[in-house]
Amino acid sequence: MEDYIVEMRNITKRFPGIVANDDVTIQVKRSEVFALLGENGAGKSTLMSILFGLYEPDKGEIYIRGNKVRFRSSNDATAHNIGMVHQHFKLVDNYTVAENIVLGIEPMNRALGILPYVDIKTANREISLLSQKYGLEVNPTDKIEDLPVSVRQRVEILKMLYREADILIFDEPTAVLTPQEIEFLLKIIDEMRKSGKTIILITHKIEEIKKIADRCAILHRGKLVAVLDVESTSSQDMANMMVGRMVEFAAVKQPPRYRETVLEVEHLSVRNANKFEVVKDVSFKIRGGEIFAIAGVAGNGQGEIADAITGMIQPHSGTIKLCGKDISGLSIRQRVEAGLSYIPEDRQGTGLFLDFNLDQNLCLRKYYKKPFANQHILNFSELESYAGILIDKYDIRSAQGIKTSLRSMSGGNQQKAIIAREIEEHAKLIIFVQPTRGLDIGAIEYIHKQILAEREKGVAILLISLELDEIMNLADTIGVLYNGEFLKIADASTMTSHDVGRYMMGVKGQ
Amino acid sequence: MKKVINKLASILDDKRWDSVSIPILSILLSFICISIILLVMGKDPLLAFKSFLQGSGFWPKEKYGGGNGMLTDLFSFLNILAPMILAALGFVVGFKAGFFNIGISGQMLSAGFLAAVIVGYSDLNAVIAKPLVIIIGALAGGLLGAFVGFLKHKFNIHEVVSTIMINYIISYLTGFFINGYYSDAITRSMKISGANARLTWTNVQIAGVKCNIPLGIVLAIAAAFVVKFIFDKTVFGFELKAVGSNMRCARYTGINVGRHIVISLTISGALAGLAGVTYYCGYLNTIVPRTLSSLGYDAIAVALLGNSSPIGAIFASFLITIFQTGSNYMSSTVGVAKEIASLITGILLLFSACGGYFRYLAHRRMQRIQDEWDIKDNPLRKIIADNSDERKEEHIHG
Ligand SMILES: Nc1ncnc2c1ncn2[C@@H]1O[C@H](COP(=O)(O)OP(=O)(O)OP(=O)(O)O)[C@@H](O)[C@H]1O
Ligand SMILES: [Mg+2]
Repeated sequence: MEDYIVEMRNITKRFPGIVANDDVTIQVKRSEVFALLGENGAGKSTLMSILFGLYEPDKGEIYIRGNKVRFRSSNDATAHNIGMVHQHFKLVDNYTVAENIVLGIEPMNRALGILPYVDIKTANREISLLSQKYGLEVNPTDKIEDLPVSVRQRVEILKMLYREADILIFDEPTAVLTPQEIEFLLKIIDEMRKSGKTIILITHKIEEIKKIADRCAILHRGKLVAVLDVESTSSQDMANMMVGRMVEFAAVKQPPRYRETVLEVEHLSVRNANKFEVVKDVSFKIRGGEIFAIAGVAGNGQGEIADAITGMIQPHSGTIKLCGKDISGLSIRQRVEAGLSYIPEDRQGTGLFLDFNLDQNLCLRKYYKKPFANQHILNFSELESYAGILIDKYDIRSAQGIKTSLRSMSGGNQQKAIIAREIEEHAKLIIFVQPTRGLDIGAIEYIHKQILAEREKGVAILLISLELDEIMNLADTIGVLYNGEFLKIADASTMTSHDVGRYMMGVKGQ
Repeated sequence: MKKVINKLASILDDKRWDSVSIPILSILLSFICISIILLVMGKDPLLAFKSFLQGSGFWPKEKYGGGNGMLTDLFSFLNILAPMILAALGFVVGFKAGFFNIGISGQMLSAGFLAAVIVGYSDLNAVIAKPLVIIIGALAGGLLGAFVGFLKHKFNIHEVVSTIMINYIISYLTGFFINGYYSDAITRSMKISGANARLTWTNVQIAGVKCNIPLGIVLAIAAAFVVKFIFDKTVFGFELKAVGSNMRCARYTGINVGRHIVISLTISGALAGLAGVTYYCGYLNTIVPRTLSSLGYDAIAVALLGNSSPIGAIFASFLITIFQTGSNYMSSTVGVAKEIASLITGILLLFSACGGYFRYLAHRRMQRIQDEWDIKDNPLRKIIADNSDERKEEHIHG
């Protein structure tokens, strides 16, 4: 009993309409990697938020190093050397790396012996040392807003280490990373374990658990299903236990049946606010029934291509044709009505109104049209019954049905809501950007099936993803984007994932 | 005691009533808090509350001056209530679309001034003059609001900055004209109009007492229901809320965000303009140069107190206006400085901001009670709860 560093006993946490954690007991040993696996909405983030002092449990007790504790805020948890990297980062955008890390516990000094001020020089130095020690490279004076997500994550990790945390909670740290970055992060986690730290890792990717974790707890709809020894359990078993049924890993794909061209992009160039060309003279075509995947490391212009096609940003030059009609001059709504659907990358900022209820969010493409609106008056019963149908059809889980506020839904179910809404537009072209980021394997399996079903129907699909596996599984044609240019566009059957990976790193020619 | 609290929690946790029960609780708590303050000052709180009601015509005073009565006070209360509701509505419309229109005072002043200059000195028939005043008020306020929206949309100038500056410009500009052309020789203020253009019928005899009957109150209540209808039922209202909730997602949805920014601020300004004409050309019938009305700022507090809902704005205006109009009388009878009205507004606002917290507390309490019942009712559950440690141990080894 004594060698457990963290014990959460009989934790129950309710939210209106749902029991997010139902009598859950977990025990974590000193310096092990303890994984939490579970479907979207299973209650993983909630359980860890309780351990980190963000929520108080309705029932249950927490013991840290054998002592009973009661956390009223995350400060209490920090005082017990617990740190957490959240699913959605919590950094101040216009502060520097160092300022973010020391925020709240700034090293102070006194000018002329009296006036207190934040000694940012010392902070910078300390952080450089810390980042060298753990191999987490950051520049302490960079502003957060200028940094890519992987570096922001390093900042979050350093923030924990700076507070001398030795119980580290990672909530889906790999969802936002590229394969190389994941590799790197897992190595760091391994090193931290060796140096005596205890790590709790939430992830949906079973191969990561296999690679790094010692034990794994599985949650299903708020309840603890099992605590497993990772080494002696197969991936398939873990997946089945987590979803509660058999899971197929790779979707079955029919041979392609291409139809006429749906999307034609010619000489597209996009400049960012600093007049820098982020998309350079890109041309490609997508036929009906074809999945065209854009592969590439994050930040190589993928998002801008999608935004330009949908009208979210104005391209600098080039034309975009949908079914032979130039849509470059059309408004966003006109493009949608011309037959374009869009699952954006930033689901919370762009794809959803977090403060609106689920039914309204499901009807964002329809609310102003008959029969949902008549003479500018909304018809709520139509909206609600339509939303109800989508919830059933796409198995969107929420605490209070169509009247759930989006903010309270788990990340995976938010994504499902967007996908349901956009697929149900029955568009000619659907753009999927990172459609399965942060989803559990059951949901991924489901969404891949949906994407393939749309392909069978003859819809043209533009898939933008950072997951090489996803691209290799689904794509008919692959375009590899590097520095805003296509290095290679080829039939998917002619490339191995190794080839694609090499192009992604900017290696030209064979 | 515990029983009472549990009962209270069950009332507050009832979803059907919480939009009424929570504000009532907040108001009661503020009253208790105010009473304590009055007690500490050595005054009788009951007497104070009574004289607030007396001052605003909801409770008979001991004696009245010649020709006046309780109705006189009540109507004068309604006279100030009307612009308060309209101004609060103006703020609500902007706020729902995501804007903080603090230019209401300026919009009111320009509307009142223009209506006075154009119609106030004319000898148009009242049947034409009164509607004209209303229309000019809405137009003047609306145009100013549209200008703010335009600056926001085209040049991304924050509405708080532009409205503050416009407030000053209006104040000095109208002040210049009033001092130069329209000022009354004795009061140095703007004398507005003859009875034809005034939005209040003065000295009407009702039940033997003199009353000033405001037209604006009808306008204000009607406007509240129109605003409610727009936000609750129409496509346009839904889109305004969408813009206010997340501009980026509104764009993604296909809403013409720029147009909605301008329109929402136009409506907000138009309502403020209506408040302006009912205030300057109805209630007061005079404009003091270079002075912005504090009502335009109080309306912001009122709108927030009303949970930024149009119907809430009516009730909140009612409450706050009782304290503001009654404060003069209260101060003369109880002997507390009338500035206590502002203190009361502040306390009310403070407690109403805690509404969400009260709801949370009530909900948690009900959950706890539920848990206790579960265990008491069901001996099996208790055993499971006690033994679950061992149960989980098994999982680990199994
Ligand atoms: N603040 C909240 N208010 C109301 N309900 C909530 C809140 N936070 C979470 N929930 C609900 O609790 C359940 C568990 O959510 P949680 O975020 O813990 O899931 P998760 O396992 O982390 O899922 P995901 O993998 O999608 O991130 C969900 O059904 C969610 O809707
Ligand atoms: Mg989560």
